[in-house]
Amino acid sequence: MIGFVYQLQKAGVPVSVQYIIEFYRALQRGLVTGLDQLFLLSRLIFIKRVEYYDIFEQVFASFFMGARDGVPGGIEWEELLAGKPFQEWLKGELESGRLTPEMVREFDTEELLARFWETVLAQQGEHHGGNTWVGTRGRSPFGHSGMYAGGVRVHGTGLYGTAQKVIENRRHINYSDRSAITTENLRQVLTSLRSLRPVGPESELDVDETISRTARNGGEIELVFCRELKNRVRLIVLMDNGGYSMTPYIALVKTVFSKIRDLFKDLNYYYFHNCIYGTVYLDPPRTQSVKWDKFLSESKSTRLIVIGDANMAPAELMASYGALDFYTSVRKPGWEWLRELRDAFPASVWLNPIPRDRWPYESATITGIGRLFHMEDLTLSGIKNAVTHLNIQGQAFDGH
Amino acid sequence: MQFEGTERYYLSPELREIVNIAIAMEKPLLLTGEAGTGKTQLAFEVSRALGLRMEEARCKSTFKGEELCYVYDTVLRLNDSRFGSGDTGRDVNNIWDYLRFGPIGRAFLAEDRRVLLLDEIDKTDSDTQDNLLDVLEDGSFVIREINHKVTAAKRPVIIITSNAKRELSDPFLRRCFCHYIPFPPPEEMVMIVRLHFPDLPEAFLEASLTTFYRLRDQGFEKPPATAELLDWIGSMRTSGASGPGAGRETSHIGTLLKRTQDLLKFKGILKPGRF
Repeated sequence: MIGFVYQLQKAGVPVSVQYIIEFYRALQRGLVTGLDQLFLLSRLIFIKRVEYYDIFEQVFASFFMGARDGVPGGIEWEELLAGKPFQEWLKGELESGRLTPEMVREFDTEELLARFWETVLAQQGEHHGGNTWVGTRGRSPFGHSGMYAGGVRVHGTGLYGTAQKVIENRRHINYSDRSAITTENLRQVLTSLRSLRPVGPESELDVDETISRTARNGGEIELVFCRELKNRVRLIVLMDNGGYSMTPYIALVKTVFSKIRDLFKDLNYYYFHNCIYGTVYLDPPRTQSVKWDKFLSESKSTRLIVIGDANMAPAELMASYGALDFYTSVRKPGWEWLRELRDAFPASVWLNPIPRDRWPYESATITGIGRLFHMEDLTLSGIKNAVTHLNIQGQAFDGH
Repeated sequence: MQFEGTERYYLSPELREIVNIAIAMEKPLLLTGEAGTGKTQLAFEVSRALGLRMEEARCKSTFKGEELCYVYDTVLRLNDSRFGSGDTGRDVNNIWDYLRFGPIGRAFLAEDRRVLLLDEIDKTDSDTQDNLLDVLEDGSFVIREINHKVTAAKRPVIIITSNAKRELSDPFLRRCFCHYIPFPPPEEMVMIVRLHFPDLPEAFLEASLTTFYRLRDQGFEKPPATAELLDWIGSMRTSGASGPGAGRETSHIGTLLKRTQDLLKFKGILKPGRF
């Protein structure tokens, strides 16, 4: 069981010791009477956010049901049967006599695959310490009780088949933290962004002041209210609309931000192309420019989100007169401009549509800019981290 | 104590199991999910099915948490001390006459076990949620003014719902059992509709659901949910329509799509967004 917890943790699910204690307490109370209860109970205890449902289901399948990643999820049957590992295994089995040609004809695909997985799993012992656990519940080899990839029945007469059904459908894949933002999980993105807004009750009765004034009034009641003023956040979104890598995201990003517009005191969009050279623009075709000084003179508490791929020729970033665009001939290198931007907006974050794991390979400038700006990718978790970062950075400047 | 659902509410086996686990473990159950998936309704059904009285708190963004436990009515006391309490029976010298208990307070003070619903907790501030944490965990709160500790006589069954307007804090989530109610698939939806409209003809139901799920897939700003579906079928029944119609002729579309943008999009006259 502990192994399962560690696998969850390895898969990126935050786990606390408290959960483990809770889990054992639940076992003591006899709440687990089958695989389905085990599935629901462990999900209730260990998983607190829908973003982790998908990971949880995968880990659960791998640990308790002996499935490998992605199996029994979307199996590409044809691909699998034609694939080299399966063919080689089949050949080996036939040669060693463990399988006869008659058996191969007789068995349906499921049965064959079941045996195949059995072998694979046995070879990958480290991955599947959990097999023994299920084993003690009477799983016989070769999946007679239907615990295998093909046989989609749940162990025994499993109450409702919830676990297997849920896992198979991968219903929660869109909510996974690692998925890029799409319209389906827009809601989660919105939620994260909303927490950018500091909120608080705006007025309350000042009891002490009321009593003292009332006393001074000779008992005539005077109610005194104090206002708990909190500045609402100003947000600037600076978007790179030059590179093709941004194209798929512009509409989406605008929808996201327009939906939460009313939550901010002020929300402005500006545009730039590739790197910033002293001007940003109010409109996407970049015709109305905004003076750099004016742009930088925003209050320090203004949050800045730069959205762009940060992918450019190194010369564009580092060299003087580096702009690719012929007419944008300015002396200061892009790096300098970015640094000024960064200094003007201490609470800033860079969102990159390129997935994080590809940053080092896409371009050297990503790492470069990443040193200047806190950079996150345009996924749910990226946006969440970005929001947290902005909140922490911004706190120092709120109320000024 | 086992919760088995009621005749008015379709309970998926998964959800039933979850409710029972939460009751057995005495943990608050946090339900999230799309609007109209019956999160709030579940609390009422639990209370009905188990025969427990209900204490209900609809959260507002101005809540600080404490008022769910108790409110000390300073203004009333001031007023009484100035003008006298008249024949209300309140004694200005007795603070208890000016303490009013909120849903949490009532649930804790009650002799019997109650169902406590904290509806739309996400509307509150994260500080409020943190305040509520300790209260729910310990089953007790302190009336600050007189330093009196109120302890729950019977731990209530706590059900919390969230529409995910704002992220809930990690410590809050840690102390709850969290369940995301997925949108019911068609086969469950059939059962839900049947509970509300037992005499609906099969063909009518099928046609309605087909239209309904097709609409949901079209990426509207506010996709229609269960509540809208039930309203829609209800209004079609009342108006005596023979079927839901199809395409742009769909009857009573206003009960399904609520946003102007969505309606315009549905009618196909939405101008391309300005960019």
